[in-house]
Amino acid sequence: MRSAATLVIVAVAVLVQATAVNRVQFDWGPGPDLVVAALVAVALTTTPAVAASAGFAAGLAMDLLPPAEHAVGRYALVLCVAAYLVALLRANTGSPGAVGAPPSAWTGIGVTAVTSLGVGLGYAAVGLVMGDPRVSLGATAVAVGVGTVLTTLVSPLVTVPLLWIRNAFTENEFATIQGPTGLGGW
Amino acid sequence: MFRDSPRSRLVLVVLMVAAVALLVLDSRPGADPVTSVGRAAGEYVFTPAAAGVGWAAAPAVSLYDGLRQAPHAAERIAELEEANAELEARLQAVDNDEERADQLDELLHLSGLGGYEIVPAQAVTRVTARGLAHTVTLDVGTDSGVRPDMTVVNGHGLVGRVVEAGASTSTVVLATDVASAVGARLEDTRKIGVVRGGALPGGPDAELTLELFDMEDPVEAGDRVVTLGSHEGAPFVPGVPIGTVEEVQSAPGALSRLARIAPAVDFASLDLVGVVVAGPAEDPRDSVLPPRSEPEGDR
Repeated sequence: MRSAATLVIVAVAVLVQATAVNRVQFDWGPGPDLVVAALVAVALTTTPAVAASAGFAAGLAMDLLPPAEHAVGRYALVLCVAAYLVALLRANTGSPGAVGAPPSAWTGIGVTAVTSLGVGLGYAAVGLVMGDPRVSLGATAVAVGVGTVLTTLVSPLVTVPLLWIRNAFTENEFATIQGPTGLGGW
Repeated sequence: MFRDSPRSRLVLVVLMVAAVALLVLDSRPGADPVTSVGRAAGEYVFTPAAAGVGWAAAPAVSLYDGLRQAPHAAERIAELEEANAELEARLQAVDNDEERADQLDELLHLSGLGGYEIVPAQAVTRVTARGLAHTVTLDVGTDSGVRPDMTVVNGHGLVGRVVEAGASTSTVVLATDVASAVGARLEDTRKIGVVRGGALPGGPDAELTLELFDMEDPVEAGDRVVTLGSHEGAPFVPGVPIGTVEEVQSAPGALSRLARIAPAVDFASLDLVGVVVAGPAEDPRDSVLPPRSEPEGDR
């Protein structure tokens, strides 16, 4: 059930991003990245290996869908690493095991902001390594900054509901039991 | 902090290697079969999805566009309305100009035939203080060289004479005014008479009446009348068409013969006229008259 939900979430996010968000003309350049926002929700509630796979699949899909003007694999690599790191940090800093409390809404939003920033920079970095002529300091700063802000703004509408959905589908029978102490951080 | 199972790390490494391999494959020059197939598949998925989104989002997109352009739309509408009004006015002006150009052409033709020097003018009003006199106001005056007692013509013939001239306006008494009397001469017989405005006592009801001094003068309907010309061309220069004899009346016991004249000028639609500021060097005789239409008139 959870894996099916993951699949659907990622697929829908990719399709909506590619067909709806990318269609809108923003005066300021980049729009919000729903894929990152959805992937954070997935990565926060799964194991690193699954998160990496989901990130890879989503990134590859974004690479292959027509508006993509870059080499195949570029976004896949960045999203794969990003999702893996989010899941890894979540698994290692949160409560051990699956008994941990579900991540809060604020956690989701914060992680989305940081991940969006990291993905933007990583994407630019891969472009730099590959000799993409479009990567310059000014353009990258503007695109990453605006993209991060917008993605953070839409995360309450994407990441937070997806976290609820994934928690609703959880098979952990102790999920509703609150631990003795509140968990700081993630 | 970064504890992880070896299996999980293996998955990450495999995926990263795959991504880098795809990157390398795709960034090599030339089409690569693997990425080409992938892109084709992506396109296969994307096209119907994008079309569906486009169909579903069309109302929202048009609404968004409408909202985005709403502030400009009002301005744009005002701008277009203004441009439209201006164009309409220009179109009317073109019509008007064509008419005026035609009239000017006629005027030029007449003045060229007669050798007059003409100041073109527009008849501005036909209203007098009492409404009794037949006068018009022209938009030229002494600044343009117009003086009292100058002949006013238009493309068809005699209009009247200037009685008052201001700096930029002048008043013209029409030939149809009751107080107007114009020395006239019949085109064919060279007999002279006076054309008066309105009807004379005992004469036919007419706009213009010709009074011939000689009872024995032959005059028939269809004879044409031109101005006789005054001393030094004031108030009337010679040779300007006045009209055509319509009906001759010989009252028993009258001292003169009266004839009803159809004016050459349509006084009801006076528009562009010319003030003759200098008469011809010599009498143009009948050269100003248009050629007769009837063949038997060429006697």
